[in-house]
Amino acid sequence: MFRGKAVILVVEDSAIIRMSAVDLVLSAGYLALEASSAEEAVRILESRTDVDLVFTDVQMPGTMDGIRLSHYIRERWPPVRLIVASGKAMLAESHLPEGSRFFSKPYNDHAITDAIGRLLSGDAG
Amino acid sequence: MRAIVVKQEPTAHLEAASTLAVVVSSNEPLLFLTMDQKVIAASTSFCRAFGIDPATIPGRRLSDLGKGEWALPRLASLLKATASGSAQIDAYEIDLERPDQMTRRLVVNARQLDDGDKERIRLLLAITDVTDIRAEARLKDDLVREKAILLQEVQHRVANSLQIIASVLMQSARRVQSEEARGHLHNAHHRVMSIAAVQKQLSTSKAGKVDLSTYFTQLCESLGASMIADGERLSIAVTVDDSAVDADVSISLGLIVTELVINSLKHAFPDQSKGRITIDYHSSGKDWTLSVSDDGIGMPRGADAPKAGLGTGIVEALARNLEGTIELSDANPGTNITIRHSGAAHRQTDVPAAE
Repeated sequence: MFRGKAVILVVEDSAIIRMSAVDLVLSAGYLALEASSAEEAVRILESRTDVDLVFTDVQMPGTMDGIRLSHYIRERWPPVRLIVASGKAMLAESHLPEGSRFFSKPYNDHAITDAIGRLLSGDAG
Repeated sequence: MRAIVVKQEPTAHLEAASTLAVVVSSNEPLLFLTMDQKVIAASTSFCRAFGIDPATIPGRRLSDLGKGEWALPRLASLLKATASGSAQIDAYEIDLERPDQMTRRLVVNARQLDDGDKERIRLLLAITDVTDIRAEARLKDDLVREKAILLQEVQHRVANSLQIIASVLMQSARRVQSEEARGHLHNAHHRVMSIAAVQKQLSTSKAGKVDLSTYFTQLCESLGASMIADGERLSIAVTVDDSAVDADVSISLGLIVTELVINSLKHAFPDQSKGRITIDYHSSGKDWTLSVSDDGIGMPRGADAPKAGLGTGIVEALARNLEGTIELSDANPGTNITIRHSGAAHRQTDVPAAE
């Protein structure tokens, strides 16, 4: 179903973590877009139709955090897959849109690329 | 004045004498009222608490006390109901407002004193000013909540900082050309993740103790996920009892496990079709034993023995710090490394080793 490489939008306010996450996504063979806030992520999603997956942080400045962003995306762009990462260890996946994956920080790069692979191939497990 | 009281209501005055004494000396602000809400007596504590001159009180209506701030319609109707016997005021809360003063939150209790004479019903009104107690309780609640938020904030910051370190190490590992350098960066990343796993455990535990079984399992899952390409071939088993230890002890134990597991994964199974690493920990009182064993090719000895690397140095330093002895033995096949701590043997030497 993919036209070439899948496109992944990284949403993270910390510049270094964002840079590394983009590098992780690129080295795993995907195309990467980046946003430093939920608002910026929404603008990017509104401006293009090829984003396959959003990998977002939770705590970010602005009016929308990563959890609200993930619900907003699920409602407005239902096909977009979601991965959420947070410094809060206790956040349950039940707070997130169904089918999205949660990782507590610091996440393992392998776990993220593994989850991206599974979500994009339609295997939610 | 003395004559007037005696003339007007001699029996009432006699009856009230003991009651008056009790009322006046009450530590809790008290008012003694007629059924039509005239004040017969007020406790000294009432006058002090609400800034009313005791001399102005007797015979005055409740609603005329002070500057009229006690003219509270709801209180008046409740007292009326109490006097008629149709209601009773139990811990009723009202706000007392006075010009140029903070509103006070009062808890009032009223009782009808009925000695059989329907014409001479008396009311006892107890007034407790709970403004300060409530404010204190609120402050305490706020502090507790603030502390919880602060702690969460700190944990969040720690997690984010560890993420930055982990991200940079992994990005460097992806960039470097040399396999050896990449190996070192991966090891450094594993060490960071090993400490991060403790942090995760701590943020969900209340007593500040880390449950070793959960921690080691999480640790080995994470090590396995990033180092084992074929899960069918190599596996890590965790057999740990229900020990829970302090955070700093768990960090040391976790780093030891990390180093030993990395070492086994790297060297024990060069061409084995299958391999298994077992982490075992059990404790009894102050004694504990941690062992990491594999069923691989065993440690090369003599001239073939690899020179001690950073991993060995870390294990030795941490074991010493935990007052443990390291034993290396053949597991036939494979290698077993056991760190043993005897609480009795070290009771007198509770001094951390120098770094």
